[in-house]
Amino acid sequence: MIDDDPDYRASVRCLLESEGFTVSEASSGDEGLRLLAQDPPDAIILDVMMRCCCEGYGVTQAIKFREEFAGYRDIPIIMASSIEQSPDELFPMASEVGMIRPDYYVTKPLDIPRFLDVVRRAVAKS
Amino acid sequence: MNPAAEPELVVVIDDDYAMRLSCRKILAKSGFQVETCENGAQGLEAVARLKPALVLVDLKMPGLSGMEVIPRVREISREIVVVVITGYATIDTAVEAMKSGAYDFLPKPFSPDELRLIVQRGLERRRLALRSNQAEMERELLKRRFVSFVSHQLQTPLVAIHQYLSVLKRLEETEDAAAKRREWFDRCLKRIDDLQALIRDWLTLAKLEGQCLAQRRVRVDLKQTVESVLADNAEIAAANQVTLDSRMPDECLVRGDPNCLSVLVDNLVGNAIKYNHPAGSVTVSVETAGEEIELAVSDTGIGIPEEFRALLFDEFFRVESAQSGGTGLGLAICRKVATEMGGSIHVESEVGAGSTFRVRLPAWRGEAPGDA
Repeated sequence: MIDDDPDYRASVRCLLESEGFTVSEASSGDEGLRLLAQDPPDAIILDVMMRCCCEGYGVTQAIKFREEFAGYRDIPIIMASSIEQSPDELFPMASEVGMIRPDYYVTKPLDIPRFLDVVRRAVAKS
Repeated sequence: MNPAAEPELVVVIDDDYAMRLSCRKILAKSGFQVETCENGAQGLEAVARLKPALVLVDLKMPGLSGMEVIPRVREISREIVVVVITGYATIDTAVEAMKSGAYDFLPKPFSPDELRLIVQRGLERRRLALRSNQAEMERELLKRRFVSFVSHQLQTPLVAIHQYLSVLKRLEETEDAAAKRREWFDRCLKRIDDLQALIRDWLTLAKLEGQCLAQRRVRVDLKQTVESVLADNAEIAAANQVTLDSRMPDECLVRGDPNCLSVLVDNLVGNAIKYNHPAGSVTVSVETAGEEIELAVSDTGIGIPEEFRALLFDEFFRVESAQSGGTGLGLAICRKVATEMGGSIHVESEVGAGSTFRVRLPAWRGEAPGDA
């Protein structure tokens, strides 16, 4: 889980652990990318807007396009954001320019049953 | 754009392939000529060779960073408009970029329309910029971003609180929940307090903007104001092991609004305590300086690096991003109050030794025409 709000991470970690998942946390995009190489996960939960320059959008592009992350391209990404915008609104040119969109998109605060369903589907896919 | 002229040239410098590609497509579609470069060095070479109208540069790149590219582009030609591409919430970095010569910033992710708009606006303003005050325009741009930035600042704590409560509700009768409950309630209360502080500061600033505050011009005894602020802060100072001290003449009358003055002094004293060392001290002194009264709040704290001093009074600017809590609005409020009252504020500081904030206010010289 990559998110810059420690309180949000604490509650979501507890929720996921109670469902039997193991969670590692990163508070910035850079830290998340380092963690990815150290301990590749079955799914990535990624905040769109973080303090650090390398936020969710940049992280997605890095994983999908940079050579050094070639081995992790298939890990499903679940994007989370409090702005109510679908990925199509966020990335209107995505298909036109061949940009890769996040695999899943959820709105913060999380609707718990829906979120768990998305996480299970993502993990099953990987 | 001027249809009769040559298409204007935009250089895009970004290490992200997808970003270069999308910027190229979007801008080409709007009739611009586009050149893309994948790092700062290549970018500067292209800028020097092609003398573009506008440069879009990513702040975060391996090698030469965007922040290093900006002043060099400005050296090549001051007529080239630089727009910075940056993460959404890094307004402090963006402010820094603007101070070093960038015209505007484009927060990621952005839509094609936003990109077109900012490029067109940059080019339009480029002509105006030659004859207006650059600093004034930069301020105005930041103001326009204010609302969207604040809404993000408001939403983040609400999401954190909502998530704590919804997870607790779901785990209601489990051991996990029992263990977390107390800690999480405390965290929720803390986030609510921070949010209230943000809203309070925001409102103060909005009222100052609307000039409903700080318009009263009455006789205020600054000595009383300082004494009451020091008394209010005694407890927190003791908790931080900071001693409070004051040096004031028997009478120091200024002309202004008593409530606003309290807010001003309270913010300065609060900061002086917060950014201090244990066993440090805070000294408030007041003296007459000609037609004005000078209030100085000195601390023995961490000090402020020189490069940040000019930005210190800007809204949401923080020296270390958010580590110290606080709303990022306190000093913006101080400056607003000081200037609204016909005074001024500035800072002197030495890193590791402490800072002194000096506020000059008009002295009370009896009722003036138009005073409320």
